Amino acid sequence: MSFPRKTGSPNPMSIKANDVDLFHSASNIALMQLLEQIDILFDTYANEMTNLIEASGIEELCSDLKVGADDVRMLMLAWKMKAKKQGFITQDEWRRGLKALEANSLEKLQRALPALEREVMRPSNFKDFYAFAFRYSLTEERQKTLDIGSICLLLKIVLGSQFRPQVDSFTQYLQMQKEYKVLTFDQWMGFYQFCNEISFPDLNNYDDQLAWPLVLDSFVEWIRQKNN
Amino acid sequence: MGSQKKRNFQIEAFKHRVVVDPKYADKTWKILEHAIHEIYNHNASGLSFEELYRNAYNMVLHKFGEKLYSGLVSTMTSHLKDISKFIEAAQGGLFLEELNRKWADHNKALQMIRDILMYMDRTFIPSTHKTPVHELGLNLWRDNIIHSSKIQTRLLNTLLELVLRERNGEVINRGLMRNIIKMLMDLGSSVYQEDFEKPFLEVSADFYRVESQKFIECCDCADYLKKAERRLNEEMERVSQYLDAKSEVKITNVVEKEMIANHMLRLVHMENSGLVNMLLDDKYDDLGRMYNLFRRVPNGLSTIREVMTSHIRDTGKHLVTDPERLRDPVEFVQRLLDEKDKYDRIIGSSFNNDKTFQNALTSSFEYFINLNPRSPEFISLFVDDKLRKGLKGVSEEDVEIILDKVMMLFRYLQEKDVFEKYYKQHLAKRLLSGKTVSDDAERSLIVKLKTECGYQFTCKLEGMFTDMKTSQDTMQGFNSAHGADLGDGPTLAVTVLTTGSWPTQPSITCNLPTEMLALCEKFRSYYLGTHTGRRLTWQTNMGTADIKATFAKGQKHELHVSTYQMCVLMLFNNADRLSYKEIEQATEIPASDLKRCMQSMACVKGKNVLRKEPMSKDIGEDDVFFVNDKFTNKLYKVKIGTVVAQKETEPEKQETRQRVEEDRKPQIEAAIVRIMKSRRVLDHNNLIAEVTKQLQSRFLANPVEIKKRIESLIERDFLERDNVDRKLYRYLA
Repeated sequence: MSFPRKTGSPNPMSIKANDVDLFHSASNIALMQLLEQIDILFDTYANEMTNLIEASGIEELCSDLKVGADDVRMLMLAWKMKAKKQGFITQDEWRRGLKALEANSLEKLQRALPALEREVMRPSNFKDFYAFAFRYSLTEERQKTLDIGSICLLLKIVLGSQFRPQVDSFTQYLQMQKEYKVLTFDQWMGFYQFCNEISFPDLNNYDDQLAWPLVLDSFVEWIRQKNN
Repeated sequence: MGSQKKRNFQIEAFKHRVVVDPKYADKTWKILEHAIHEIYNHNASGLSFEELYRNAYNMVLHKFGEKLYSGLVSTMTSHLKDISKFIEAAQGGLFLEELNRKWADHNKALQMIRDILMYMDRTFIPSTHKTPVHELGLNLWRDNIIHSSKIQTRLLNTLLELVLRERNGEVINRGLMRNIIKMLMDLGSSVYQEDFEKPFLEVSADFYRVESQKFIECCDCADYLKKAERRLNEEMERVSQYLDAKSEVKITNVVEKEMIANHMLRLVHMENSGLVNMLLDDKYDDLGRMYNLFRRVPNGLSTIREVMTSHIRDTGKHLVTDPERLRDPVEFVQRLLDEKDKYDRIIGSSFNNDKTFQNALTSSFEYFINLNPRSPEFISLFVDDKLRKGLKGVSEEDVEIILDKVMMLFRYLQEKDVFEKYYKQHLAKRLLSGKTVSDDAERSLIVKLKTECGYQFTCKLEGMFTDMKTSQDTMQGFNSAHGADLGDGPTLAVTVLTTGSWPTQPSITCNLPTEMLALCEKFRSYYLGTHTGRRLTWQTNMGTADIKATFAKGQKHELHVSTYQMCVLMLFNNADRLSYKEIEQATEIPASDLKRCMQSMACVKGKNVLRKEPMSKDIGEDDVFFVNDKFTNKLYKVKIGTVVAQKETEPEKQETRQRVEEDRKPQIEAAIVRIMKSRRVLDHNNLIAEVTKQLQSRFLANPVEIKKRIESLIERDFLERDNVDRKLYRYLA
C-alpha cells in the first residue's frame, strides 16, 4: 500500500477519534482499507490548499459519474453526506457519505446511486431531504430566505418527478406575482405539505381558513380565478 | 207476705228463637221503595226519616244489604227512565230548562236517599266495594239521561248552538248554561270533556277559522288585531262565566292558533298596514297589541323581531350609503340618533322593553353603521360640532344625555381606533383654536371614553389637555420674565405640544417675518432655559395671528388670520405689489398650502384683503397680488380663513387609513405574542379567534392580516410551527 505524498494531505495514520475503535479491531482491516480508498478518492478531486472539494472538483466528479450538475442525485449525495454548504465538500462529509454508501471507488459510487435514490424517495426520508435541499441552497451566513428564481429551480429538481403539475403551476405563479421576492423555510415546507394533502388541480379540499402560509392562499386564489 | 225464696240473678239468652220473617225483607224493602217513589214525586214531607233510616239499617243488619242495594239501583233507574222521556218531550228552549230542573230534583232526591241509606253507605258498600249511593246516583243519571240516545246529541247541539248565538252577538241565558255545564262537570271530568269540551273546541276551531279568513280578506292589520283581541277576551270571559276554568287555556289556544298563528306572516307583511307601516308611523297602541297577541303563539315574537330587524337594517343601510345624506356629517349622525330614539321609544312603550328586541336593535345598528367606513369620522365630526357650538347654552344634564347618546353610537363601531384618530385630530384643532364651548363637556366625554375603552385610549388625549394648561403657566412665566422688554412690539402666545400626545404633523417650512423672529427666539431660549434636553419646533401650520391693518382709505381693521396668512401679509409692509413666485420665495410655504392661503385672502367675498390680477378663482403661478384698497367689512374684527375641521379630502383620507392600518400591525403582533406566551402551544384557528377577541374593543381584525403577522413572527423566530402538525404554533421563549 503506497501512501500518496502530497503536502497538506493528512497522514492516514493520524486517525480521528471515531476511527480509534476500528483501528483497534483487527477484523476491521477491510473497513480501514475502505476508508483509505475513500480518502484517496477524495484527494483526486480536492483542492490541495483548502482540503475541500470545490466547484471545479464537483464538476469533475459529476462528469466522472456521468451525472448532470443539476441532477437531483447530486443533491441526494450531498444529503447523504450531510453537506453544509453548497459547492463545497469537506473531507468529513465525503467520508461520511461514501462510507454510508460503501463506495470506495468511482464505479462503486456510480452503482450506489440508484439505491440512494430509492432510499431518499422513502417517505420517512423524503421530508428530511426536502428540508435539507432548502437549507443547503442558502449561501450566506445569516441567510434565511431563498430568492424566487432559486426556489423555482430547486422545486423542479426536488419535486419535479413526484408532483409535476403542482410544481409547474406554482413556479408559474411565483414568477408571475410581484408580492414575494423570496420564500422562507416555512413557506417551502408548506408547499410540500400542500402537494401531499391537497387534491390537484381541483383544490377541493383546500381551506384558506386553516394554517396554510399566505403565499399558498394567494396561489390557490390565482388558480381559481384562472379557472373561472 | 211471706219471705220469698232468694233466686240467683241470671241473665239468660233469649230462649225463643228470633225468627226473621222471610217476608220481612220484602216488607221492609217495599217501605223503602215506596219512600223513594214519594221522594221522586215530591212527596217527601209525609215521610218519617227516622223510620226509614231504621228500616234500611235493619235490612243491612239482617244481611239483606244486597237486596237493598239492587233494589235501589232498579228503582232509581226506572225513575230516571221516566224522567228521561219527560225531558225528551220538551220542546225547543224548554229542553235545557227541564233538564236543569230535573237535575236539581234528582240531586235533592239523591241527598235524601243517601241520608236514609247512610248505614248501608258506611258499612255494606265499602265492604263489598260497591259504588257509594251518591256516586251511584250520578252514574245512573249519566247513563240514563245524559247518555240516552235521544238526549246526548240534542244536549250537545243545544249547548253549542247557544255558544254560537252568543258569539254572533245574541244574549243567552248564562245562568242556565252554567248550571248545565256544572252538571256535566259534576258527572265527572271525562263526561265534561267527552260530552262537551272536545266538540266545543272543534266547533270553535271551525268557527274561528272561517271568521279569521273573512276578516283577513277585508280588514287591515290593526283592525284585524283589534278583532282578534276582542274575540280572545270574549272567550276568556265565557269560560269564567259558565265553563270549567280548565277550559280557558284550551279555548284560548284555539283562538290563538286560528286567528293569530295561522295568519301571522300575512298580518306582519300586510301592505300599507303591516308591521313595517306601524313602525314607520309610530303606532304605539297597534304595535303593543300585536306584541301582546303574538307572544301567545310559538314564533310570534321572533317573527315580529325578524321583520323589525330586517327593516331597521334596510333603512339603516340606505341611510349610510345615500350620498345625499352623507353630505353633512352632523346631519347624518343626528339622523342615526333620531332613528335610535324612535326605536327605543317603540320598544319601551309597545314591546314591553323586551330584552331580545333591544338586542336586535343593537345588532342592527352595529351592522349598518359599520357598512360605511366613514362612520367613525362622521361621529367624531358630530361631537366636534357639538363641542364647538352645538352645546352652547345647554344645561349640564342635557349635555350628559347627548354625550351618552354619542357613546352609544361609539360602542357600535367596529373600528374604534379610526374614531380615536379622528377624534384626536379634531380635539387638537378645537384646543388650539380655543373653540370649545365647554371644558367640562370635553372632560366628561374623555371620562366616558376611558370608562368604555380603558386608560390607554385616553391617556394621550388627556396629555393634550395637560399641555394646554402647562402652556398657560409657561406663558405667565415668560411674560413676567420678559414682559417689560416687549414694549410696543408684537405679543406672542405659545402653546407647547408634547409630540407623542398630539396628532403627528409633518414639519413644514415657513419663514416667519423678522418682526416675529426675535420674539420667537426669546421664547425658545426662555423655555429651553427651564427645560434642558428638549427640542422645540415651530408648527407654523397650526398657528393664528391677529393683525391690525390700516387700508388706503383709512379703514382700520383687526384681522384674525393663520400664521401663513400673517407671513404673507407682513410682506406687503415693504412692497405694494408682489407676484406669487415672490411670495413663495420669501415665505417658503409649500405650494398647495400657499395657494389655499392666498385664495382665502384674495378670492372670498368680504374677506378679500388682497386683490389679485387676474381676477380668476384659482391661483396661477403668474398671478400678482396687491393690497385691496377698497376692502370693507362692517365689522372691525374680521376673521379670515377657516380653521374648522372639514371632511377629509380623498388623499387625506387615504393617508389616515394607511396610518391606522400601520398602527394595527404592532397591536396584532402584541396580541399574538401575549396569547402564545401564556398558552405556549395553540392551533391556528384558536389563535385567530383569540386574537380577534382581544382586539375587539379597538377594531375588527382581518384574519388575513393576522396570518401575515403570524408568518412574520415565525420568520423572526418568535414562533415556530410544530414539525408534525403544521396547524400548531409554538411559542419560542
